[in-house]
Amino acid sequence: MSSLLNKRLARSLWRTKIRLLAVVLMVSVGVFAGITFGGYSHNVEGMYETLQADDERGANLADLWIDNRSATWSPEQVTTFCNALESSWMSDIAALDSCEGRTILQGTMFHTNETGTHIINSLWHGIPDDANADRVWMPDGHAEGRVASSADEIVIDAHVVEALDLSLDDTVTISAGSASLEFTIVGIGYHPLHVFMAPEGSLFPPEAGQYVVGYVSDSGMARLTNSSLGSANTLLLDVEGSPAFDLPDTEAYEGDEINEVKSLVIDAMEVAALDGRIRDRGQNEPVEIMRQDLESAKRSSVPFTVMIAAIASITIVLSLQRLVQSQAKEIAVLRTLGVNRVSLMTGYLIAPLVIGVVGCGLGALIGPWGVNGMLDFYEGIVGLPITEREVPLSLYTSIMVPTMLVVFLSGAFPAWKSSRLDPLEVLSGQNQMRVGSNLLRRLTSWMPTTLGLSVRSSVRKPVRLMMTFLAVGISLMLFGSVQMMSAGLQDTIVGGLEDQQSWDAQVYITEGGDADVIAWAEARGASYEPLIEMPLGSVQDADGLERVFTLVGFDTYESGMRSVNVIEGEQPQPQNDVVQVMLDEGAMTFLGWSIGEEHTVLLNGAEHDVSVVGVTRGELARTMYFLREDLGQALGVNATSMYLALPDGVEVDASLAEMSMGVVERQAIIDGMKSLIDQQTQIFQAMMYLGLMFTIAVMFNTMIMNVAERDVELATLRVLGASTKSLGLMLLFESLLIGIIGGLVGVAFAYGGAVGLAASFSSWQFYVAIVIVPSVAYQLMGGVVVIAVAMTPIGIWRLRRMDLVEKVKDLSR
Amino acid sequence: MSDALLRMDNLQRHYETPAGVVKALDGVSFEIHEGERVVLLGPSGSGKTTLLNCLSALDSPTGGAYTFLGKDVPRNHSEKMTSFRRDNIGYVFQFFNLLQDLTVLENILLIQELAGKKDPARAKELLGLVGLDAEVNRFPGEISGGQQQRVAIARSIAKRPTLLLGDELTGNLDTETSNKVMEALVSACKQENITSVFVTHDEGLVKYATRVIRIDSGKIVSDKQITSDEEA
Repeated sequence: MSSLLNKRLARSLWRTKIRLLAVVLMVSVGVFAGITFGGYSHNVEGMYETLQADDERGANLADLWIDNRSATWSPEQVTTFCNALESSWMSDIAALDSCEGRTILQGTMFHTNETGTHIINSLWHGIPDDANADRVWMPDGHAEGRVASSADEIVIDAHVVEALDLSLDDTVTISAGSASLEFTIVGIGYHPLHVFMAPEGSLFPPEAGQYVVGYVSDSGMARLTNSSLGSANTLLLDVEGSPAFDLPDTEAYEGDEINEVKSLVIDAMEVAALDGRIRDRGQNEPVEIMRQDLESAKRSSVPFTVMIAAIASITIVLSLQRLVQSQAKEIAVLRTLGVNRVSLMTGYLIAPLVIGVVGCGLGALIGPWGVNGMLDFYEGIVGLPITEREVPLSLYTSIMVPTMLVVFLSGAFPAWKSSRLDPLEVLSGQNQMRVGSNLLRRLTSWMPTTLGLSVRSSVRKPVRLMMTFLAVGISLMLFGSVQMMSAGLQDTIVGGLEDQQSWDAQVYITEGGDADVIAWAEARGASYEPLIEMPLGSVQDADGLERVFTLVGFDTYESGMRSVNVIEGEQPQPQNDVVQVMLDEGAMTFLGWSIGEEHTVLLNGAEHDVSVVGVTRGELARTMYFLREDLGQALGVNATSMYLALPDGVEVDASLAEMSMGVVERQAIIDGMKSLIDQQTQIFQAMMYLGLMFTIAVMFNTMIMNVAERDVELATLRVLGASTKSLGLMLLFESLLIGIIGGLVGVAFAYGGAVGLAASFSSWQFYVAIVIVPSVAYQLMGGVVVIAVAMTPIGIWRLRRMDLVEKVKDLSR
Repeated sequence: MSDALLRMDNLQRHYETPAGVVKALDGVSFEIHEGERVVLLGPSGSGKTTLLNCLSALDSPTGGAYTFLGKDVPRNHSEKMTSFRRDNIGYVFQFFNLLQDLTVLENILLIQELAGKKDPARAKELLGLVGLDAEVNRFPGEISGGQQQRVAIARSIAKRPTLLLGDELTGNLDTETSNKVMEALVSACKQENITSVFVTHDEGLVKYATRVIRIDSGKIVSDKQITSDEEA
C-alpha cells in the first residue's frame, strides 16, 4: 500500500518537473559551493603550512620580527642583542632556534623593455644563504634556480617575472637610495612575507610588474647599501615549534606564549640599546591578512551551503505544501478508505530525501571542478602555486550531512499537514471556504476593484509570501551583500584615491634626501609636498592588546595634494599643548575612542599624548593623521617621502629614482586596485547572477503557484467576459507589488548581509565601512522587480491556454 | 412573437476521441426570442451543458450556424469569444464562484469594471433586487449558499447582459433556497428584460420557465412553450 502511495506521489512530483529540477539544482549548487569553498580553504591552508614549515620543503616563517625602518643596527648591536636574548632564555619556553639580523629596504628597479626604461617601486631583502627563518621558498616544479649567495646575485620573486619577462641569468639594475647596481638573477622563488604582492601599508597589490620584491644575499645587501656585512634593520626570531600568538580577529587572548618571548626581547633590546617595534605573526600584516582571508573562507563554507540549502528547503516546503493542498481530496479519499497517517507521511518525507540525495550527488560530482576553479583563481590573484590539491572525504561529509538534514526537515511540515487533513472537512469543501480580511478591505477600498483584488490576492497566503521573501532575502544576502560590500569598498577607497588626491608620484627619501628631490622638481616645474608616512604607531587597546597603525603627517589637510575625507570632527590645528590628530573610523571603532579624548600612544616606540579631533574614512589600514610638523618633532624625521604633481610631459626618470628609496605612481596604485577589484568583481558578478537565478527560481515557484491556485478565480472571470488584457494587467500589478516588496526585502537583507560580512571581515588590519552605493541597491531591487514582472507573461500564457470548457466543468463539480 | 435573439441551425459539436467521434451536439436547431426564460432539460451526458457552452461562446461548434442578434457568433478565437461574452452574456455557476477576497458589493463592481461600466449605485440596486442590501460589505464566506447564489445572479446581470445563462444554478441548494433563488432570478430578469437559458435536470424548475427544451443524445427531443397559466 505504502509503495503505491509513494509511487503516486512520485508521479505527482514528476508532473512539476521544472520545479523539481530547480530544487535539485539548488541543492546541488549549495553542495557545490560548500565543497568549492571548503576545498579551497583546505588546499590553501595546506599550501600555507608547507610554505611556512620549518623543514626542507618550507621557508620557515619567523615567529617574531623586530624592526626599525629609520635606523640601521651595526653587526655588533645585532650580536649583543642575540647573545643577551640567548643568555636570558628560560628553560620553560620552547628553545630559540635562531636569532638573525637582516636588512630589508625599499628601493627601485630600473627595468628596460621595448617601451623604454621603467622605474619600479621595489623591496629588497638581504638574506644570508644559510638563513634559518624567512627563507626564500622554492617549491619543486614552481620555482627555478637557487638562492643568492654572492654579492652580485639576486633571486626575483616569481610574482613579477612573467610581467617583466625576466629569466635566470638575466641582469637587473636596482638601487636602494644610492647608486644603482647590477645583479644577476640566479633564482626565481617566493617568500612567506610576500604571498600577497602588496607594498607595506597597502592591501592592494599593484598590477603585475609594478612592484618588485627581490632577495639578495647578505653580502649583496651590504654592496647595495654600501654598509658593512651583518648590518641590519630587522631581527628575526625563530622559536622551536610555533608559540601561540594572539589572533586579532578573536575576542579571546591567545598570545601568552609569545608574550613571554616578547618580554625577553624587550630586555635584550635594552641591553643592546636597540629601538624598534616588535611584531608577532598576528601583528605582521602580510601574514595576518592571509590568515584571516583563509579563516573567513573556512568559516564561510558550511554556512554558505546551509543558507543555499535553506533556499532550496523553502522551495521544497512551499512546493510540497502546495502539492498537499492540491491533493487534499485524494488524501481525504485515501484516509476515508483507511490509509493510515504514517503511510501518507512517508512519501512526503521520502521526497525531499530523494531530492537531497540527487542534489548532493550532483554537487559532490562537480565540487572538485569548483575547487580547482577557485584555486586557479587564487593562483591568478595571489600568484602563489597550490603545490598539492585534494578534496578530503571529511569535507564531503561536513557539507552533505547538514544539507541533507535541512532538506529532510523541509519535508516534515508538509508531511505532517498531509496526515492532519480532516477527510470530512475536505470532502465537504469546508477547507476551501475562507473569509477575506476586513483590514485589507479597508486598506484597499479606495483602489479600483481590479487592483484591490490584485493586492488581496497577493497577500492571500501570507506565510507563503513571507517564506518567499525570506528565500529571496537569503539569496540576495548571500549574493548581493558581496556586491554591496565590494561597491562600497570601490567607492570609498578607489574613489578617494582618484578624486581626492592630485599627486602623480610619491618619492620615498632617506633622511635629508628631500633637497635633491625638491631640486629635481623645481627644475622641471613640478609641484611638491613633503609628508611623513610610517607604520610606526602603536597603542594598547582597552583589552591591553597592542595595536599597530600607520602615522601620516601633512602640512595641510585643506590645500594639499591629498585631501582626507573627514567624516566627523575637524582637522588638526598647530601649536597646541597636546598634539591634535585625526584617526580613521576603523581605528576609532576598534579602540572605542571618541572625538575630544586624549590618549597616550607610542610613536616609533616613544610615548606621546595626542588629542583626537577628527575621524576619517577611506583607509583600509589603521591610520593616525598629524600635522607634519607635530609628527616630525615626535619622530625626529622631517619627511619620509614627497608627493610630486608632474606637469604635462614630465615623467619619473632614472635620476629621480636613484636619489630616492622608491617611487610609486598614483596611477599604478589606482590601476592595481581596479585590476584587483575587477578580478574579484568577476567572481562577485558570477555569484550575483547565481543569486538572481535563485531568486528567479523562488519567485517563479511562488508566482506559478499563485496563478495555479487562482485558476478557478481567473476562469470565472474569463467566463464572465474578462479579457486576457485586463486579467494580464491584474497579474502585472500583482507581480509588480510582489517584486517591489521582494526587492525592498532583498536590499534590506543584502545590506544586513554586507554589514555582517564587513563585521566578520573587519579586523584591526582590514576595516571595511559599509557605504550603500545607490546603484547597487537599485540593481538588486530592479533585478527582483524584473524577475517578478517577467513572470506575468507566464500567467498570461496560462490564461490563454486555459480550456474554459474544462474549467467550467470543474466549476460545476 | 418578436425577432429571434439568437438562432442555431443544425449546430454540431463533435469530439474526436480514440474510441471514435462523439457527437455531443448532433444537428441542433432552434431560435430564442427576447424575454424568454428557457429551461434546458436532459439526463447526464445528453449534451445540454455542451449546448450551453456553445450558446455562451465558451466552446466552438464544429458545424452548423449560430447567430446572435443577426450576427455570426465568433468561434475558435479566444479573445473574440471573450469579447462576445463580455458584451452579451451573463453567467451563473452551480457553485457561485464568487471571489472570496472581495466583498459582496465588490464582486459586482469588479465585473462592471472589467466591462468598463462601473456603476456602484446600480450594483447596490441589484443587490436590493435579490434581497441582499444588508450584506453589501460582507465577504462571500460570511453568507449562506443561497445568498451567495443570489449575489452571483446580481453579478451576472450587473453589466446588463442580453442573455443570461445558468448551469445547474440551484444544484447545490435545498428546495426552499432554490425557490428563493429562482424567484429572485425571475424577478431580476423581468425587471431588466433579460432573456435567460438555464440548464438543469431538476423538473421542479420548469415552473419558472416560459419554454422548456428537452435534449437527449445531442438532439432536441422536445421544445415546448409554457403558457402563462402554467408559469409560476
